[in-house]
Amino acid sequence: MSIDSIITAIHDSTLSAILRGDFPGTEWMFPIIETLHVLCLTIVFGTIAMVDMRLLGLVSRQTPFTKLYRELIPWTWWAFAGAVVFGSILATGKIEDYAYNLQFLAKFVLMALAGANMVVFHVGAYRNVASWDKVVPTPARARLAGALSLALWIGVIFFGRWVGFVT
Amino acid sequence: MFRSFAEWIAHTGLNHTFQESASWLIPTSQSIHIISVGVLFTSALLINIRLLGAANTGRTVSQLTRTLVPWMWGALGALLLTGVIQTIAEPVRQFVTPMFWAKMIMIVIVVAMTAIFTGKVRANASAWDATTPRPPGARQFAIVSTLLWVAVIVCGRFIGYTWSDYL
Repeated sequence: MSIDSIITAIHDSTLSAILRGDFPGTEWMFPIIETLHVLCLTIVFGTIAMVDMRLLGLVSRQTPFTKLYRELIPWTWWAFAGAVVFGSILATGKIEDYAYNLQFLAKFVLMALAGANMVVFHVGAYRNVASWDKVVPTPARARLAGALSLALWIGVIFFGRWVGFVT
Repeated sequence: MFRSFAEWIAHTGLNHTFQESASWLIPTSQSIHIISVGVLFTSALLINIRLLGAANTGRTVSQLTRTLVPWMWGALGALLLTGVIQTIAEPVRQFVTPMFWAKMIMIVIVVAMTAIFTGKVRANASAWDATTPRPPGARQFAIVSTLLWVAVIVCGRFIGYTWSDYL
């Protein structure tokens, strides 16, 4: 099955037609699902940014890193799951525009890089978090992870918003 | 009246400057707007969840308020600035739809509520940090302000989907 035939199959699906407002009463589906996607992504970004800024020593300097991390990360994952579900539904509606859209693809490249950065942080600096849990500044590797994460997620939002202007 | 005000803005030099650079200025401004929403909304949620008693992971209401409310005001400043840029660039788009006015009214209410709440917490931190009994109005503030922020985001997103219906 080629990529193009998959795209065509998605485009021809009922879900895609609903998102395009092809049936009576579905005219508002795209805006509604998009709003839910936006609500989720604001929480994803907000919680990640708070963790990143703690790694950089900009906020919550008196709070141990692990305490903040355990408080926020469940919210990140739940909101991320919501953003993925609503985002996937949304994408079916305009899949033919998105599939070869530069901004849309760049968004996913940046998310993959953010994921890789998170994995590196977990197998690296986070392993001996006990030694820097209450310390500011955090080790250079932890600060680098925070800075990269913040920059990558800002990039994800930029490209995501941009998609709406070019499709 | 608002329509003629919008048309007056549309004839200002600043509007023309913004329109000339609209291809990058508006997506960039909107992206910064969304990033700021992320910081503000997540901060508000964390405080409100704590007020409702969930996510009891250690930080007290007064600690959270002291850490997060300054970020909320900072984000609000960025939202105001980017919002003004977007309004000058596309005044008619904003002023014709009731979604814009509903959003503005709700922002005024929720910002006033948050300022009063912050003042009360600062004046009597120990009472607000207690969960048994919870201070009067804590639950109501948490629920109403969360709903208002969600409604602000929904209306904000729907400006873009409704304005052309009111031309």
